[in-house]
Amino acid sequence: MSFLAIDNVSFTYPGWPSVVRGVDWAIEEGEFHCLVGRSGCGKTTLLKLAAGLLRPDTGSIRLQGRQLLAPGPQLGFVFQSPTLLEWHRVLDNVLLPVSLQHPPVASEIERAQRLLALLGLSGHARHYPRQLSGGQQSRVALARALILEPALLLLDEPFAALDAITRSELQDDLLQMCSLRRTTVMFVTHDIAEAVYLGDRVAVMESGRIVQDVGIDLDRQRSGAIRYGAAFNRHCAQVRAAMDLVAA
Amino acid sequence: MTLTRLQLRLASFALLLVLLAAWELAARAAGMSALVLPTPTAVARSLWRGLASGYLWPHIAATALELLLGLAIGCVIGFASGVLMAESNVLQRLLKPYVVVSQVIPKLALMPLFIVWFGFGMTSTVVITALICFFPLMENTVTGLQQVDPQRLELFRMLGATRRQTLLRLKLPSGLPGILAGLRVAVVLALVGAVVGEFIGASKGLGALIIASQGMMDTPLMFAVLALIAVLGLLLYEATLMLERWLLAPYSQPA
Repeated sequence: MSFLAIDNVSFTYPGWPSVVRGVDWAIEEGEFHCLVGRSGCGKTTLLKLAAGLLRPDTGSIRLQGRQLLAPGPQLGFVFQSPTLLEWHRVLDNVLLPVSLQHPPVASEIERAQRLLALLGLSGHARHYPRQLSGGQQSRVALARALILEPALLLLDEPFAALDAITRSELQDDLLQMCSLRRTTVMFVTHDIAEAVYLGDRVAVMESGRIVQDVGIDLDRQRSGAIRYGAAFNRHCAQVRAAMDLVAA
Repeated sequence: MTLTRLQLRLASFALLLVLLAAWELAARAAGMSALVLPTPTAVARSLWRGLASGYLWPHIAATALELLLGLAIGCVIGFASGVLMAESNVLQRLLKPYVVVSQVIPKLALMPLFIVWFGFGMTSTVVITALICFFPLMENTVTGLQQVDPQRLELFRMLGATRRQTLLRLKLPSGLPGILAGLRVAVVLALVGAVVGEFIGASKGLGALIIASQGMMDTPLMFAVLALIAVLGLLLYEATLMLERWLLAPYSQPA
């Protein structure tokens, strides 16, 4: 039984053509899957379906064997923009998922501070989001998604607005945080190199369907150097070819 | 040439002195009757006499009380109905036409009716002030609550927030800057409402005093009262700005 099982899922926004058409996908526990595709191919919608923010028209989505009916704190979600609450300090932003359930206790505050320290933000806990750079805000959003230690983490192009160096730092941070907790991840991006660098598998999506499934057999312990290796480039070319194939 | 903030303030104050001096000279040179255009010194004398003798204080108190009561009542009702309308589409569709009609009628034209209903005096003026303050606060509250970033709403759904939590912890804080801008407009309009309400509906208050000084042909007193109204408005506006700066401090931290 897969950790997350998407079976023949379709979705249509009322009055529009289908966005997601008969998608089957399975993620095993602890795996890191990336979903790539052009803008408007339905990848964000598929992610929202997996989060329970949208309900599929047909098919089913099961998380750990149970039908997913509503979003909840067992899932972490990171949006395209950091979506921090600018009237809360960084620490309170990280603790938001906790404080919506009950006033945070000391151990939870400590956990938030540990997360911030892991992401190199321990000096910024008392600051407001506006005082942080874009990369730092993305890190806070990541810490917020991880505070409840969710079993499944869903990310929607979270680093798309960042410069290349900050982005690669954040990619390494994300990999480290997820392998530490064996978090299962579904990561949406339009950047082929990002998908190959992060993922164990890369799904290529086009016009609402998953058209190609590319396994990435690179060393799990990623480091910056593999970005320039032959194997890495071969995988990128493979994904790119899959995207071109559909477009042709 | 760039001026520092202090220099700009001093320049602004100097401009006031220049204008007052020009007024004084012009009024004296033209030999105009104090009935038409009193000199600033005459106005200042009248103001001082009124304040020192205690003649003006009850009027100031009456206007200030009406102003604050009307502002408080109008803002509370405006805010509450703004929240209700933003949260319920049905309520908004149902009530919006009536609210708009109540606002396109010039409210001061309702004053004679209010005198019939609530009597001559403070109540009528408070009601009209409240009615004037109500609208900007309601409009800005509805707009502020409905313009929440959809991604943040999804975030709150993701986190399993209740409707009440979404309202109190997301919609109200993110609409706060807009709501406070509505309050600033309401404060300025409230003063107009209170003073003009007193023109027709009261025997006490700065508005009533303007009408009285017209009757007594005491133009210096009329100018003195106008100056008091300006001071009252400025104080209230500055107080609102301070409240705004205090509440919005976390929103405006330097980058």
